Amino acid sequence: MSSLNHTDLMMLLLAISAMLLLSRAAAEIAMRFKMPGVIGEILVGIVLGPTILGSFFPDLSKAIFPQEGQSAIALDGIVKISVVMLLFVAGLEVQIPLVLKQGRLAVYTSLTSMLFPFVTGFAVAWFFPEFFLVSDGESKLLFALFLGTALAISALPVIARILMDLKIMRTQVGMLIMASAMFNDLVGWLIFSFILSMMGKDPSRMNVGYSILLILGFGLFMLIIGKRIIDRALPWIQTKLSWPGGVLSICLGVCFLFAAITESMHIHAILGAFIAGIAFGDSVNLHERAREIIHQFVTNIFAPLFFVSIGLKLNFLAYFDIWMVLVVLVLAFVGKVAGASIGAYWGGLSRRNSLAVGFGMNARGVMEIILATLALNAGLIGEKMFVALVVMALVTSLTSGPLMKRFID
Amino acid sequence: MDLKVLKNKPSWPFETIGVAIAFSPRLEMLLAEAKRLSELFSAKLILIHVGKKSASLEADLQVIITKLGFIEGTYTPIWKEGHPVDTILHVCKDNAVDLLIAGAVERESMLRFYIGSVSREICRKAKCSVLMLTEPSIAGTVFKNIVVNGVEHPKTRHTLGTVLYFAQKEKADRVTLVREIHMPAMAMSSAESGTEADKLKQELIEEETAGLHDLLQQVDSGTMKIGVESVFGKTGHAIASYAKQQGADLLVINSTDHHLTILDRLFTHDIEFILADLPCNLLIVHSRVEGELNKLSH
Repeated sequence: MSSLNHTDLMMLLLAISAMLLLSRAAAEIAMRFKMPGVIGEILVGIVLGPTILGSFFPDLSKAIFPQEGQSAIALDGIVKISVVMLLFVAGLEVQIPLVLKQGRLAVYTSLTSMLFPFVTGFAVAWFFPEFFLVSDGESKLLFALFLGTALAISALPVIARILMDLKIMRTQVGMLIMASAMFNDLVGWLIFSFILSMMGKDPSRMNVGYSILLILGFGLFMLIIGKRIIDRALPWIQTKLSWPGGVLSICLGVCFLFAAITESMHIHAILGAFIAGIAFGDSVNLHERAREIIHQFVTNIFAPLFFVSIGLKLNFLAYFDIWMVLVVLVLAFVGKVAGASIGAYWGGLSRRNSLAVGFGMNARGVMEIILATLALNAGLIGEKMFVALVVMALVTSLTSGPLMKRFID
Repeated sequence: MDLKVLKNKPSWPFETIGVAIAFSPRLEMLLAEAKRLSELFSAKLILIHVGKKSASLEADLQVIITKLGFIEGTYTPIWKEGHPVDTILHVCKDNAVDLLIAGAVERESMLRFYIGSVSREICRKAKCSVLMLTEPSIAGTVFKNIVVNGVEHPKTRHTLGTVLYFAQKEKADRVTLVREIHMPAMAMSSAESGTEADKLKQELIEEETAGLHDLLQQVDSGTMKIGVESVFGKTGHAIASYAKQQGADLLVINSTDHHLTILDRLFTHDIEFILADLPCNLLIVHSRVEGELNKLSH
């Protein structure tokens, strides 16, 4: 079995240390200014990567964060594992029953907040592919599907945080936003898994029906049968095994198992992790304390590694295209705010509260960044589009709370 | 029966009680319970059986009725054929039943639960209050420790009024009004700061407890002492666990607002958590005061 040599190991440890220490400091500062910690983490990556450190001290940047070699591969592996875990914790908070419980209002809002931005994004990408530097053919369809999905998803963690800060989480509007965001995330990640499963395949040999069937079949089986098994096993796990080590190991072990299964099915590891998260999170037998420990473990250790790594990948200034950023921002605002507001209004909310729902759901946050990173890695989008999506995720997250506050009754 | 009578009829007092009967080993116990409750509430009693009427079944029923000491004229047996749940509920509607009593096992097999048993389907669909007895007995179940769901909803005030009526008649020792606090994604959004989450939880408990005290002030509780409690967890499941932990004799909840389907059982929530595993006897209060509910919800 090959292993890292002394120098590679030292470099890897140094890189992880720098990422964790600096991202913690930056996250704390961001939170002092009432901003999400993730903004600080991304900024650390931009500072340490080719945008700042790489431009002024390229040798130092390459020495700490080599782009090639064993330590680079090892760091990439850690970042990929971080993404899998991030999707797992995202799934932990998706509760399908909440959508059912909210009834007609949630169904309308969920559907329109998904369909409007999806159709808007798809149509713009389909009719103006050259603007996004996409060629005709297979990549045009996949890119159009991707842009639709990227505009349709919401960021549950950011939204939950905003609702808690505004103290409206338990109101009708708060629960409606949560339920609709959960629905958007669930459907969005299913569509994105489908897009990734289609990547790199010969268009003539694409079996779309098979891929959709595989994804839906896996999802439904795990959410109905798998979830029941987990639900039955959890009380035993939490009482018979050591606490909290037992439940932590089992949760993450199952997460990686599900991720491996979907990866082996050529879907993508993220879907398995996401579904595993839903299966665990939906169980009433998962202790709240266990849920908190899992979140804290992933959010404070693995999430910073991932968010810092984003800035290490490319020069944000070099790939910053103001027109692309503006177009993506306009599409994001128009599609989501209009879609969610119309659905909420049809469902029976007042005009002002409907707009509050629209702006509340407009936050894209970390989910968008994860989606964009995976798309960039898969070659689905270019660097300019990636930067535009990251900017959009940050702007929508920062503006969502204040705009929502203006409209809520 | 003039069905307009049903509209806006308060959920208490119980003037007419119905009992859904089947010729099972628990029939005698269920009839004994129904007799005791109808006497306690001075209510008319209707015995509802869905199935073919036969001389032998009639004779069997008469034997039990005589044994339990039913007085002629205080009860009315109704025999109907048809779909069990729909027929029972139709009879209830036609006879302006205020409380329907039925027996139910605590936990059904998974398949039976998903398909929907008669007793569970009655709970989901009934347009009158329903009392599900998990262990009916000849001596009669006593309801001394009552747990009530204090969810923030216009129906809750009516439910609480019904419980107070019930508890006073029954001379209950303890009534606890419980509010469930479910904060989806709280663990996720407060993962960066655990102390903040604890502070938030404490604030929520104080807020909800104050809300329960406000609710109590809206009803006349007389001399009955009512405790208040806030519990964290998924709605339906949290209160069922609380009732079980407290050894409650009766759990009281509002009737559902939505038509429940198999999807609600597959992705279990609220009342379905309770029906999946009954923690104790269950009273589902159906509020029929539409006008007042609308006024309260706006």
